[in-house]
Amino acid sequence: MTTTRKPGLSRRSTLALMGAGAATFAAPWVARADANILRIGMQSILSGPIALLGNSSRNALMMEQDRINAAGGFLGRQIEFLFRDSKGQPQESARIARELVNSSGCELLVDSEASSGAFAVQEVIRDLGNVVCIHTNSETSALTADPKIRAPTAFRVARQGVHDAVAGSIYLADFSKARKLNKWATCSPDYAYGRDTTAQYLQFLKQFNPDIEVVTDAWPKLGQPDFTEVITKLIQAKPQALFTLLYAGDLSAFVNQANVYALFSQMTVATPNVDYPVMAAIKNLPAGIQSATRYLETFPDTPANKEWGEAYHKRWNERPTTWSWQCTVAMQFYEAGIKKANTLEAKALSAALTGLKINTPFGADGTITMRDDHTTINYAIGWGQTTPKEPFMVDIKPADWGKIIELETEWKKQQKYI
Amino acid sequence: MKAHPAWRDAVIAAIAVIVVLAIPLFHRSPAFEDFVIRLSAMALFATSLNLLVGNTGMVSFGHGMFYGLGAYAFALTMQMTDLSLPVAAVLAVLFTTFAALCVGAICVRLSTDYFAFITLAVQMLFFSIIISWQSLTGGDQGLRGGIPRREIFGFELASQLHLYQFCTVVAVLGLLALRHITTSPFGQTLRMIRDNENRVSFLGVVLWQARLRAFTIAGAFAGLGGVLAALFVSGAYPELADWPNSGQAIFAVMLGGINSFLGPVLGAMILLALNDVVTRFTEYYGLVLGIVILAFAVGLRRGVLDFLRLAWPGRAR
Repeated sequence: MTTTRKPGLSRRSTLALMGAGAATFAAPWVARADANILRIGMQSILSGPIALLGNSSRNALMMEQDRINAAGGFLGRQIEFLFRDSKGQPQESARIARELVNSSGCELLVDSEASSGAFAVQEVIRDLGNVVCIHTNSETSALTADPKIRAPTAFRVARQGVHDAVAGSIYLADFSKARKLNKWATCSPDYAYGRDTTAQYLQFLKQFNPDIEVVTDAWPKLGQPDFTEVITKLIQAKPQALFTLLYAGDLSAFVNQANVYALFSQMTVATPNVDYPVMAAIKNLPAGIQSATRYLETFPDTPANKEWGEAYHKRWNERPTTWSWQCTVAMQFYEAGIKKANTLEAKALSAALTGLKINTPFGADGTITMRDDHTTINYAIGWGQTTPKEPFMVDIKPADWGKIIELETEWKKQQKYI
Repeated sequence: MKAHPAWRDAVIAAIAVIVVLAIPLFHRSPAFEDFVIRLSAMALFATSLNLLVGNTGMVSFGHGMFYGLGAYAFALTMQMTDLSLPVAAVLAVLFTTFAALCVGAICVRLSTDYFAFITLAVQMLFFSIIISWQSLTGGDQGLRGGIPRREIFGFELASQLHLYQFCTVVAVLGLLALRHITTSPFGQTLRMIRDNENRVSFLGVVLWQARLRAFTIAGAFAGLGGVLAALFVSGAYPELADWPNSGQAIFAVMLGGINSFLGPVLGAMILLALNDVVTRFTEYYGLVLGIVILAFAVGLRRGVLDFLRLAWPGRAR
């Protein structure tokens, strides 16, 4: 075989390669150039089908960055977020968390990963031991409830599966008793969140209304485009009510396709996952879906909550999600904690955050508390029913936090966490 | 390929270890240390795959399963038993070796295309088991609770510096062993199989046995890479055993060069550096990676080290 062009590197190519190499390895140190800026690392899923939620986290944090900087920053230093996309891969989440601290000079972390990423980040935080991290999106209770998994400098500001399950089950048990809806079906995503949380809901639901029986269940894959098979299976089983944990794009696709089969006229549907972007993506939002409030401008019905929701909408031309308010509250906790500790040192700041109660528009009574087990309580949870137009959800009943904590404690004992 | 005395490779490996271990004495950079730890795992993974792809002509799309298996076997052993870390690591590699032997026994008799398909199919089966067997593996959430890093001879692997030193030594020893295998008569036989299997068969070599041995050895070293990966992320996740991870190893091999022993190591280095740099600036990592690979494929028409060997014959290897 003959070679028509002699292979080799020109001087120009060599210089370009050397330049690229230098830029690659210099980047972390260049990023550290301005030492007075307080860098806060944020990681989330910013690409792929869940990016909608990751972006809504980023949007909320950018609003917080502006607000905090306008008020003088943290300890007199302006804050700056460094955003990273984990692509939803846990090992990448772990790498990014280390990179943000070790090479990008971040002194605080906001982990806006979904559950699997959050568990990976948790181990990195435990290993590093010198940085405080707030998880803002993982709803899996074990992250903070299990003392073996809880990390000394990691906290969670997010809804929690067990809180949701208790609140939802009490509401749905009362609702099903009043309407005599005893035959139920379930339809949840086929992975740990879908299966575990559905089981948790059913356990509490049967505890509050023993007459309930499950006549069929369906487990569609995450991101499944066609729900025809699932919908026909559900309709054929003739349940009186359907409980679903589908969320984000999957839930809107399911509702749009189920509308074609008139599923909503044949059974009552209940879900904890109706969020603004889901409602926006549904062509004809059926009235009467029993749903939890993820984020609503009208719940809690206070001027502060409405003002925040409108400010978000005005700036980003879209509505916030539950991930958005959770990120906002995380920054409010950092703000109050740093003020109390007067330092960013991990142990001191963690001590200040533990047990801290802050005023916030997203609290059930205008406050949220960071409990001793590093997770938040008293955030606004309510259940109501959907309407096709604004405000999209009406007749909202707030959950009873006394009952939630009582049953959560029982659950923790069952799991041998306490 | 010219024969290389084993001592020469050993001297080069020793110099590499001394240089890498000495760097933190002069300048501590956690970013660099993290990079080397990840590179250690990826280099073993990609180089072991090249034993199949470059040396034997067997394109396996399912190599990630052994990487994931090594990670899970090690992490589970550490979590469920009180065994010391080296013993757990050895057991994990032995387990992966046995799994590779079983999978290889099914796959290696198939011709090239079907071999590629069946390795992918077995990997998907293995991935499904990880996702479904929640009580053992944690399902899609991965193995939670971290890996206890029990001290070994005063080495505390929760310390980044000690982990860096441990991974460097393990990776260089692993690469040295792979180098020894590729330059041995067995390695020469594998290259003969790649170039003309009929002729090798006429010479009396039992093809499937040689292939099975190569497949098992490659699986074992991928498992060792998985152990290092598990130590870095302090856990094991299904993505480590998923097919895109096998794709990463294939990219590393193709980028670095399939005909150079250190090609996959260089490819892994490029891939990791690209990932680290690109993800700082954009969420379109896949697009950038695609363009870079296209540039290499169209521009160099071979991996970087293979290109350099052609550009300067007798210098790079």
